[in-house]
Amino acid sequence: MSAAPPAIAAVSGVRKTFLDESGRERVILEGVDFEVRKGEVVAVLGPSGCGKSTLLRILIGLIAPTAGRVLAHGLPLSGIHAGAALVFQSFALFPWLSVEENVRIGLTGRDLPEADAAARVHDVIARVGLSGHERATPKELSGGMKQRVGIARALVSGPELLCMDEPFSALDVMTAELLRAEVYRLWSDGDTGLSSVLLVTHLIEEAVTLADRIVVLGANPGTVRREIPNTLPHPREPRNPEFLRMVEKIHDAVTGVHLPEEAPAPAPALPGRVAIGPFVPLPPATVGEMLGLLEILADHGGEMDLFDVDALTEWDFGRTIAVVKAAELLDLVDTPKNRVLLTDPGRALVAAAPREKPLLFRRQLLGLGTFVTVVRALARREDASVRGEEVRDMLAERLPNEATSVLFETLVNWGRFAQLLDYDAPGDELALFGGRAGDADA
Amino acid sequence: MTSVAAGAASSRRAGPSTLAVRAIDLLLLGVLGASVAGVVALAEQWGAPLREAVPIDLSPSALPGYTLLSLSRGLAAYGLSLAFTLVVGTLAARSRRAERVLIPMLDIGQGIPVLGFLPGLVLGMVALFPRTNVGLELACVVMIFTGQVWNMAFSFYGSLKAVPTEMYEVARLHGFSRWKTFRTVELPSAVIGLVWNSMMSMAGGWFFLTVNEAFVLGGRDFRLPGVGSYMAVAIERGDTRAMVWAVVAMTVMIVAVDQLLWRPLVVWSQKFRVEETGSGEAPTSWVVSLLGRSRLLRRIRRSLRRAREEARARAAARGALPGAGASRSGVLRASAALLGGVLAAAAALWGMLRLGGLLVRVPVREWGVLGLALGATALRAAGALALAVLWTVPVGILLGRSRTWSRRLQPVIQIVASFPAPMLYPLVTAALLFAGAPFGGIAAVLMVLGAQWYVLFNVLAGASAIPGDLGEAADVYRVSGFRRFLTLDLPAVFPFLVTGLVTAAGGAWNASIVAETLVFRGRELTTFGLGSLITRATHDGNFPLLAAGVLTMSLALVLLNRTVWRRLYRLAATRYALNR
Repeated sequence: MSAAPPAIAAVSGVRKTFLDESGRERVILEGVDFEVRKGEVVAVLGPSGCGKSTLLRILIGLIAPTAGRVLAHGLPLSGIHAGAALVFQSFALFPWLSVEENVRIGLTGRDLPEADAAARVHDVIARVGLSGHERATPKELSGGMKQRVGIARALVSGPELLCMDEPFSALDVMTAELLRAEVYRLWSDGDTGLSSVLLVTHLIEEAVTLADRIVVLGANPGTVRREIPNTLPHPREPRNPEFLRMVEKIHDAVTGVHLPEEAPAPAPALPGRVAIGPFVPLPPATVGEMLGLLEILADHGGEMDLFDVDALTEWDFGRTIAVVKAAELLDLVDTPKNRVLLTDPGRALVAAAPREKPLLFRRQLLGLGTFVTVVRALARREDASVRGEEVRDMLAERLPNEATSVLFETLVNWGRFAQLLDYDAPGDELALFGGRAGDADA
Repeated sequence: MTSVAAGAASSRRAGPSTLAVRAIDLLLLGVLGASVAGVVALAEQWGAPLREAVPIDLSPSALPGYTLLSLSRGLAAYGLSLAFTLVVGTLAARSRRAERVLIPMLDIGQGIPVLGFLPGLVLGMVALFPRTNVGLELACVVMIFTGQVWNMAFSFYGSLKAVPTEMYEVARLHGFSRWKTFRTVELPSAVIGLVWNSMMSMAGGWFFLTVNEAFVLGGRDFRLPGVGSYMAVAIERGDTRAMVWAVVAMTVMIVAVDQLLWRPLVVWSQKFRVEETGSGEAPTSWVVSLLGRSRLLRRIRRSLRRAREEARARAAARGALPGAGASRSGVLRASAALLGGVLAAAAALWGMLRLGGLLVRVPVREWGVLGLALGATALRAAGALALAVLWTVPVGILLGRSRTWSRRLQPVIQIVASFPAPMLYPLVTAALLFAGAPFGGIAAVLMVLGAQWYVLFNVLAGASAIPGDLGEAADVYRVSGFRRFLTLDLPAVFPFLVTGLVTAAGGAWNASIVAETLVFRGRELTTFGLGSLITRATHDGNFPLLAAGVLTMSLALVLLNRTVWRRLYRLAATRYALNR
């Protein structure tokens, strides 16, 4: 690789931090090395919130990294990457401009004679199949047509690098598949002058359909975890066995990243104190989702393949992982390899009557240091209640890499179901359920 | 890095009882005591005999008292507006027939130049209560009320109309009483808009308050003790120190009302927000967080909750309550409505006759002058608004781009917008006269002095609401500078700009009545226009001309609303709306 000409766009050692809503620093990306080479389609794959869109924006100069280098053709990038264009998930069309005027935005700053510019706009609109719609405004178009305008705007200047940020996520399945094929055709034709495509997505099948190289990102903070070449011949047929094998391989890689085999180390028991479980982050899954997962497992004999769970629930993959992780944390399921098994407490929870479920769930919760710590802090108070802000401060302090407000929401969701916690959102007051710890135990 | 310090802070706050907690409880008790004393003092002022002229004491020590008197008038007017809003809004939303009458009335009320009615109102009220201050005080309160009630009523009516029918069906199915329907169905859906409009109304109210407190008609002095009259006397005597004190007092009052009343209300109203997944951040108020720490309040709240639960349990034990009083006989209600209609029609007829009687006494030549004056003031208002647009649009867009700055500045602009511009007229006029400007031009600046902030405020809100992806698209495709302003910023803020301009235009026309004629250092400055014509007619007690002037301005404003503004609104809602 080192002998090859420098990459079209590259980052090395990139770190990016943001301040969250309460002014706490969160690391989004950490130590990321990544490049887009000449003539390739590369996909960045990861669950939502892993920083993949941020990585894309740093690569083309929309956002500056907190630390690290950004290069374009081997030279430090200043401003926006000259050869890059971007297609947005939300289309980002100007609602007050016509299709033609929106596409022409892509030519801003290129000093073209008027006739040339008009011809190019006309040509690219025809290429994406929108002839006849030049005068329409975006409001009159369907989602698929809007994204065609977005693609036309990106291609009109003849960029070498086309970046796409979840470009088909806002479209229905059929339209998305059609547009995917058309994007591939536009790239492989070579007529557009396009050299490389960078696709950011959370859909494994989408990455396998389009990309020659798939980069898997892990979250909290976002880092490059795996890189998998994809040499399947085009056109790629989703029902082809080889395609399915590739999807499975990527699934394994993603799972390896997000559901590591090794169990979290138990906290050493301090002498003279009852040992409490580890103070760990809570994956952002609701009790409802966990119970849904358990029901599905029970219906399938208590054991399923992770991907079958994913297919059955119709959650996106990141969500499935979060729910499985949450259930595993509470010892409701076990995940050897890619299997998901119902544990004994999980089985008991499924079988329990509605009235009993909270009690069983509470037993599992109290195995978590995160909950025991919060409950103990509440019980120490005179009126068994505390301002939510204090709990969020504590969470932020102990788990600095997590989104505190999401963590708190999950804590409340689980605690409420277990009849352990009570939360008054307008007053931001977190209390023990029933007012007193004693009541809750009775 | 900072986690150590944060940990220390949180553990300190976690301590069982701190000095601050005790202090806030003491403070609450203090506030309670002060309110009682205030009400007693207020009763004395209202009951005091009407005098030829109220002597105003210019010493700074008298100012807190004056400020509290002004504040009480503002609050009384707001209370009246709120009551009117709740009653009229509900009526209009509930009954088709009432809607057909009330909504056009509100629409016209919103458009008329309220200040033009000041003389008639004051004279009428004083005639009603010739012996005490009650008449004058009432005139002042009613004046502020007419300046602030319309948008509140419209907002409330609009919210009620937007309540989904299913909610009413639920209420009917479960046999909710009228009161319970109001509390659980209607109020929650209206409260956010109502609080917001209340803030705007109260801000506008200070303008009328200061003008009203300093009102002099011909040779008669109708001044009321308050910050407005304090300022007026200070200007008359050229006492700069007193003027500065008055401005300080007014500012303190506005900030205090904002922090102690509106901010907490805004925070409270958020709990009625229909959740749209955490976009934007929740407003905060230090008062609310302080109150949240008060043990006294917490205890009171808890015992109230318990009492309510017990009452409910007792009611449940007694079995379901018998249905709330069955509706009265339809005949009675129909005859009441008929009587009301007849009375209203009679009142309207009488008013028309009186107005006609006044108008026929205006000579034809005067009508011609009125037309010319209307043109002059219209030009001045248009110029003033153009001036406001010229600086507020670029500034608002620049500030709105930065999230931090717009967040920091919005409350400040809100307070600045509340400041009654007439109090600043002398200062601005002095500066502009010194710079050699003609008074005709200065009047235009004065007209927009108070109104421009509404434009800035709206543009700022619009600019900070520009979707991030559109900004990124402009960045990626290198749309920058003036081109970016034309393709992205201006169209995106256009709907907000129109909203701001409508408010500002109303304000500018109203202000023309006090801005086109000004007594400054004993010299009367005046410029030709409808506003100065109305002022002169008021001064000379020329009631036919006054009526003709106010009527002309009212008609012009209603016409402007129907044509220019409505068309711009439609354009904003169709072409420039951002909901994609």
